[in-house]
Amino acid sequence: MPIVIGAGCPAIVVLHHQNIIKMKTKQTIAVIGASGNMGYAITRSLSKGGYRILLCSDEQQKAVTLANDIKNNNTTADIDAIDCSGQAAWEADIIVLAVPYAAEKEIAARIKEVATQKIVISISNPLNETFNGLVTSPGTSAAEELQALLPNSKVVKAFNTTFAADFATPVIDGKQVDAFIAGNDEEALNTVSELVTTAGFNPIIAGDLSVSRTLESMRLLLIQLTMKYNYNWLAGWKVLHN
Amino acid sequence: MHELFLKKFNEVVPLTPDEEALIKQYLVPKKLRKKQYLLQEGDVCKYLCFVVKGAMRSYVLDEKGDEHITAFAFEGWSITDLPSFIRQEPATLNIDALEDCELLLTSKSAMDELFQKLPKYETYARITVTHGYMALQKRMTNMISLPLEERYKAFVQSHQNILQRVPQHMIASYMGLSPETLSRVRSRLNNKKEL
Repeated sequence: MPIVIGAGCPAIVVLHHQNIIKMKTKQTIAVIGASGNMGYAITRSLSKGGYRILLCSDEQQKAVTLANDIKNNNTTADIDAIDCSGQAAWEADIIVLAVPYAAEKEIAARIKEVATQKIVISISNPLNETFNGLVTSPGTSAAEELQALLPNSKVVKAFNTTFAADFATPVIDGKQVDAFIAGNDEEALNTVSELVTTAGFNPIIAGDLSVSRTLESMRLLLIQLTMKYNYNWLAGWKVLHN
Repeated sequence: MHELFLKKFNEVVPLTPDEEALIKQYLVPKKLRKKQYLLQEGDVCKYLCFVVKGAMRSYVLDEKGDEHITAFAFEGWSITDLPSFIRQEPATLNIDALEDCELLLTSKSAMDELFQKLPKYETYARITVTHGYMALQKRMTNMISLPLEERYKAFVQSHQNILQRVPQHMIASYMGLSPETLSRVRSRLNNKKEL
């Protein structure tokens, strides 16, 4: 709650710890898997945030095209396609793994040495081929598996309950989509909250990294509902509360 | 990646392989391009910065917007805004890269954990800070009491190869001189064949 002391004193506002004053020093974000649907959407959204963004992709030409595209539309965007995910992760302060669950192990090995103590965002959903279940066991999650592969990084689950199309339309049916975040490091959670806000969603810190199990199931449910009721891949979660 | 850091550490206090492995878990490998900021004034300084490759500088801006360079850091040296880092308060320094750099960064929480887990880290910190303090005293006394030519010679001696890597106007700034004054000092030394 902000505290305001008025009447005869200069007004002093104490910011609640969640209202982070954004850093002046430009942060560098590596988006690995930039040419996929989610990578593309995340890159576009974050390019408005004053970050330096480095793009990596298996199809590097697509990353180059995306970077140029964004720079043409926004001349102040600081964005480059980089050839190797290790290099991008080395320069980065924050690493977004916008790759499928199946690719995470390999990418983790590639970036491990340069991702020490850095925020690594897991967006993946470990769905089976028929979209009716998760391939991870109930007692774990893709995010926790990633954390085990990168024990010295700060893995944060984010952007996994939002569809790619939501990034262009984060307000659906008049309501801003909630985007859930989970992780074990408080500072990392706050930093990722800022990214979520930049992307246009309402950030909700859901808990520690084990809550990813629920978040990954939420994505599964959202996909199933989308297919069943023809939401056309534009749908999201909104928590009602008092 | 950590060879130079560990070499410098071992020169101060020798580490076992396990201890080296422990420290490596806390160091952030960071690449910075020339002219990128590590820290802008007003932000809280998050890191102690060790230079593996490249060159960094710190500076303050005066009310006219002129830069006053407070430190340089080359391979094997460290740089930070110490009051900001220790107290987690807004920085008065700006720190940026003079060349493309490879750095190893230590956050405040990483440092605090290392202090808890590794007694040798305390020794390393004590000796590093002591050396830094002694250098700072030397620099201050030189600045207020030595003739310009002696100051310049002392500076070049303590910063090997700096003339090849840093433009003269920055050296002038660091010494608190105008570029013209520095030029005169250098030419006097040249004439005396002391350069």
